[in-house]
Amino acid sequence: MPLRRHSGPPRPAILRSLAALGAAALLLAGCAAGPAATTATPASGGTLTYATGFGEPTCLDPHVGGNMPQALVGTNFVESLFSQDADGTIVPWLATSGTPSADGLSWDIALRDDVTFTDGTPFDAAAVKANVEHMQDPATASSTAILALGKVTEVQVVDPTTARFVLSEPDSALLESLAQTWLAMESPTALQRTQEENCESPVGTGPFVVSSWTKQDNITLVRNDDYNSPPAGSAHEGPAYLDEIVWRFIPDSATRFAALQSGQVDVIDEMQPDNVVAAESSDQLDVLTGALPGASIRLELNAGYAPFDDEKVRKAFIASADVNPGIESLFFGTVDRSYSVLSSGTPFGASYPDDFAIDPDRANQLLDEAGWTGRDADGYRTKDGQRLTVDFPISTNQSIPAEQSLFEQIQATTKEVGFDVELHPLDLSSWYAALGAWDFGVTSAIYTKNSPDVLRILYHSSNIIPAPSGYHPNNAHVSIPELDADLTEAGQTTDADQREALYADAQKILSDGAYVLPLYDHLQKIGYGPRVQGLSLLPTLQIPTFYDAWVQQ
Amino acid sequence: MSLPTSALGAGEPASPRGVGGAAGDVEAFGVGGEASRAGGSGGGIRGAGPDGSGGLAGTLGRGSGGAGRGLGARGPGARGFVGRRFGGLGALGALGVPQWIALGFLVLLVVAAVVPWLLAPGDPLAIAPAEAFRPPGWGHPFGTDESGRDIYTRVVHGTGASLVIGVAATAIGVALALVLGVAAALGGRVVDFGVSRFLEVLFAFPGLLLALLVITVYGPGIVTSTIAVGLATAPGYARIIRAQTRSVASSAYVEAAVVLGRSRGRILGRHILPNAIAPVFVLVTLGVGQAIVWAAALSYLGLGAEPPAAEWGAMLFAGKNYVATAWWMTFFPGLAIVLSAAAATVLGRALQRRGPR
Amino acid sequence: MRLVGAVFVLWAAATLTFFGLRLIPGDPAQAILGGPGSQASAEALAQVRAEYGLDQPIGVQYVAQLGRLATGDLGTSYSLKSPVADIIGSQIGGTLLLAALALLVAWVIALGLAVWSTRGGRVAAAVGSTLEIVAAAVPHFWLATVLVLIFSTALRWFPAVSTAGPEGLVLPVLTLALPLAGFLGQVMRESVLNALEAPFTLSARARGESETGVRWRHVLRHGALPGVALSGWAFGWLISGAVVVETVFARPGLGRTLLNAVQLRDVPLVVGVVLVVALGYVLMTLATDAATRLVDPRARFS
Repeated sequence: MPLRRHSGPPRPAILRSLAALGAAALLLAGCAAGPAATTATPASGGTLTYATGFGEPTCLDPHVGGNMPQALVGTNFVESLFSQDADGTIVPWLATSGTPSADGLSWDIALRDDVTFTDGTPFDAAAVKANVEHMQDPATASSTAILALGKVTEVQVVDPTTARFVLSEPDSALLESLAQTWLAMESPTALQRTQEENCESPVGTGPFVVSSWTKQDNITLVRNDDYNSPPAGSAHEGPAYLDEIVWRFIPDSATRFAALQSGQVDVIDEMQPDNVVAAESSDQLDVLTGALPGASIRLELNAGYAPFDDEKVRKAFIASADVNPGIESLFFGTVDRSYSVLSSGTPFGASYPDDFAIDPDRANQLLDEAGWTGRDADGYRTKDGQRLTVDFPISTNQSIPAEQSLFEQIQATTKEVGFDVELHPLDLSSWYAALGAWDFGVTSAIYTKNSPDVLRILYHSSNIIPAPSGYHPNNAHVSIPELDADLTEAGQTTDADQREALYADAQKILSDGAYVLPLYDHLQKIGYGPRVQGLSLLPTLQIPTFYDAWVQQ
Repeated sequence: MSLPTSALGAGEPASPRGVGGAAGDVEAFGVGGEASRAGGSGGGIRGAGPDGSGGLAGTLGRGSGGAGRGLGARGPGARGFVGRRFGGLGALGALGVPQWIALGFLVLLVVAAVVPWLLAPGDPLAIAPAEAFRPPGWGHPFGTDESGRDIYTRVVHGTGASLVIGVAATAIGVALALVLGVAAALGGRVVDFGVSRFLEVLFAFPGLLLALLVITVYGPGIVTSTIAVGLATAPGYARIIRAQTRSVASSAYVEAAVVLGRSRGRILGRHILPNAIAPVFVLVTLGVGQAIVWAAALSYLGLGAEPPAAEWGAMLFAGKNYVATAWWMTFFPGLAIVLSAAAATVLGRALQRRGPR
Repeated sequence: MRLVGAVFVLWAAATLTFFGLRLIPGDPAQAILGGPGSQASAEALAQVRAEYGLDQPIGVQYVAQLGRLATGDLGTSYSLKSPVADIIGSQIGGTLLLAALALLVAWVIALGLAVWSTRGGRVAAAVGSTLEIVAAAVPHFWLATVLVLIFSTALRWFPAVSTAGPEGLVLPVLTLALPLAGFLGQVMRESVLNALEAPFTLSARARGESETGVRWRHVLRHGALPGVALSGWAFGWLISGAVVVETVFARPGLGRTLLNAVQLRDVPLVVGVVLVVALGYVLMTLATDAATRLVDPRARFS
């Protein structure tokens, strides 16, 4: 049965893709492919099919755990107290304002009084209190929200539209934290159900409602007809246009793109770089990209254990890991090289390109100085009979294929000065187990957070100490008192100039010590088909929003 | 992921001659070829057996009772059978054109495995990001991959790893099967019962899960995936060896050896083992091809050789992401796998068809 | 006796899986609390360990699990938090449909090829034989990608991922069926050849039966025999293949469930799926034995 959903004669996509590949060199020069311009007026109705490659959440309530798959789907049915605009500035959403006390130890959050959860429960200060308590309850097993609320001791209900957050120490990142989907507001009535029930169908205030979840197949979301709380920057008011969103799980990236090309699905995420280029050069498909806030994609050198406990060896590694040619060819010009630990979507990022210059001679010299003077039969350096081996566990869930290829190239270029980098692609559980045991020399881990406070999570010495599960965010094993002081102070002050100076100093310390090799921004890459109009990314976490989206019938 | 031998299912003991023959066609297919030929063409055996329809094949599968007599009656001829198979280079004379092509291809593979630089002087790991994704053409007959590595060079240099996986996995499977099969056949009722049930469990266990478990426990890599594939193929071989050993052990010449007062070890080593393994050697050629395919499947699930190894399955795994834009990245390693497995099958079948005369 | 054997197989499969999963790095309590990388608190971990009995010695846990299994209780999935029986119930249909259709298609192709290539002379025999050998040597994951590229991306005849309708089944079924048909075809053709030379064929011809009649009534029956007997093996093969095919074509099913469950260290779910597959294998073996008796007249007198 032919499956033709596009009007016009179908062109063999193979030829198109090949043509796109040929054109890649031209596109490297910079292709400003915006969404297809349209003058048509939005029409209500219709079903949109979304295919995600991020995996299926095990629970739809973003308080539980707290990862990207949950945030992606959750953005459709739960909303946060605050949002951010394109510049990263905090703007109101379910809250109307946030005011700190003079000592910074409490925040009064004023709330909208006209919002209702989709189960009819009113949104008020008691609901905010119930949500924070739910996130902080050990039984909820939150990981992201509970960490973001680490300084919050309690929430007091001042009056129905004012919630007071009481803190143990000042928190300059509080409102940014509250803007994340993982800290979104859910109906307190619904939260009283069992966790199983709440995981199946969390209740929020969003433009859509969870209608059904068929495990390993799809989640169906239907429109909330009483919706009245769109975030700032939305193109319209009132309910969403789409009747329904079908949220599918397609783990294989080639299949996902094939499904988009054939019109079987309307929107896909986690596009591979070659597919981005193919879609951009196609007149049928379009791409939305945005730099995810938080840390950039980077290599973290485990400074707690040999061989990277020696700064010279770290510097030699960075001076020999030639990544620029690979970033250009593997990513087809879809990403830029980053020299900052922070993603370009995060304020206060600082770049120090000179610290990452490629210089094999210097690398050799540094390794000689560090005592790695021997060479074995395979050309690797040795010291006291030990080979200069660097174990590199790779999460096949987190690192996309192009990234894994880049790691192979790093392996090849560092080999020239004598490093034996051993790549170990692992499933998520094994990868976390290796990290938890500090059983690695270098690794790449994603951390998404819409605040420069991510630096404190990743590089404060207190985060070397593992959580009971073995998880420790400070994979580079950085333990520097001055850095700790900078990060703590920057996390407390609300003075922008002071924060900028402190974060710049912190990043310079990291750069000087060669703990991290920044690679490029972590990009959200959303591809969509010709039926889809009005799709955009919410700036807070660069997550697609379907509130303004509509489909051409 | 066990080989088709597992088709034998929960074999009923002692079957009447008729069924023995019918089942023989099936079971002898066993490890991937059609051993029914072994049954069919094994004229000498068939003639010697009391039940004209049983034959070697039937014996292999059910391996006890009436069918067992078929082989047993063959008597002293058995040793000659082994000798001829491995001694007779004259066998080559009987090869047809397809077999010659297959043989030629396998010789090429062995050359590529032993002295790869003879066929491809380049470095399979040398990256050249500026030359990434070149389609097949001058300089790069099979094109280049995402890091600009030459795919022809990688395919040639990957032959060794892929062949070693195929051969080693099969060897592990056969070695394990030998222990289990011989123990079951000669170890008495209790051991036989235990081993047979154990084999049944392995059959019922999804082979891929077995491999998944082994690999998740010991980490991915060529060694673990080889062991995983070997384990998964062992039960098929074990069942054949058990049946074969039983029939050989009850044969007249072994009885004669016992009467002559030969030691147990000598009987086992000189008489039973060589004849019990002989048919398996033919099946092994077929098994190697399948082992290569299964090891590639593990690589495809990200559980095989670690990068940047130029192993065929791992190359397919890397190439699948670019299948829409760079088909050559998957086509050539895939072709290498298909051709190798096919060549091994063709030769294995030819060997089987010649059978013992 | 059969029943005892079947129960033994199920018990051993469950035992093997239970202990196998315990060797894997990764904490089951963590698997329950949001999976790998979660920052579950010490209290939460302790609470979960107590709740699921994970603080007990492994022997006690094993006996407890076995006790539950004996009463038909497959337990609750760590990762999906719903009863394992429900999850398997919702996933098994898709996999069985896929496996059954693939088996059927493989059968038809193999038998058709066998009959055609044995009557069409040397060329047909060579072509048939080559097709079978190549098909059997094709890794199905590679085949899946190639089929998608041709029939979905380029020609747009069939969808690349599963749909509610029948058109979404075409590519997954073909992916599983073609290599299987290669295997079955090799056996069946050999069997057909033998049957063509067999005395009963000769006597049928001597009785004046038409060539077509001979082929359909006697030869085909004989040719089908190994195919029937191989179906038990094919079942296991198809389940292993389903892991790959369901992942590539984004089909819900047992194979994908199994892969995810192993990666998430979801012990009850893995044990449950293994038990169901082992049960399927046992039933399939019984069924093929019965079918062999039906097809093979000689077997009926045993």
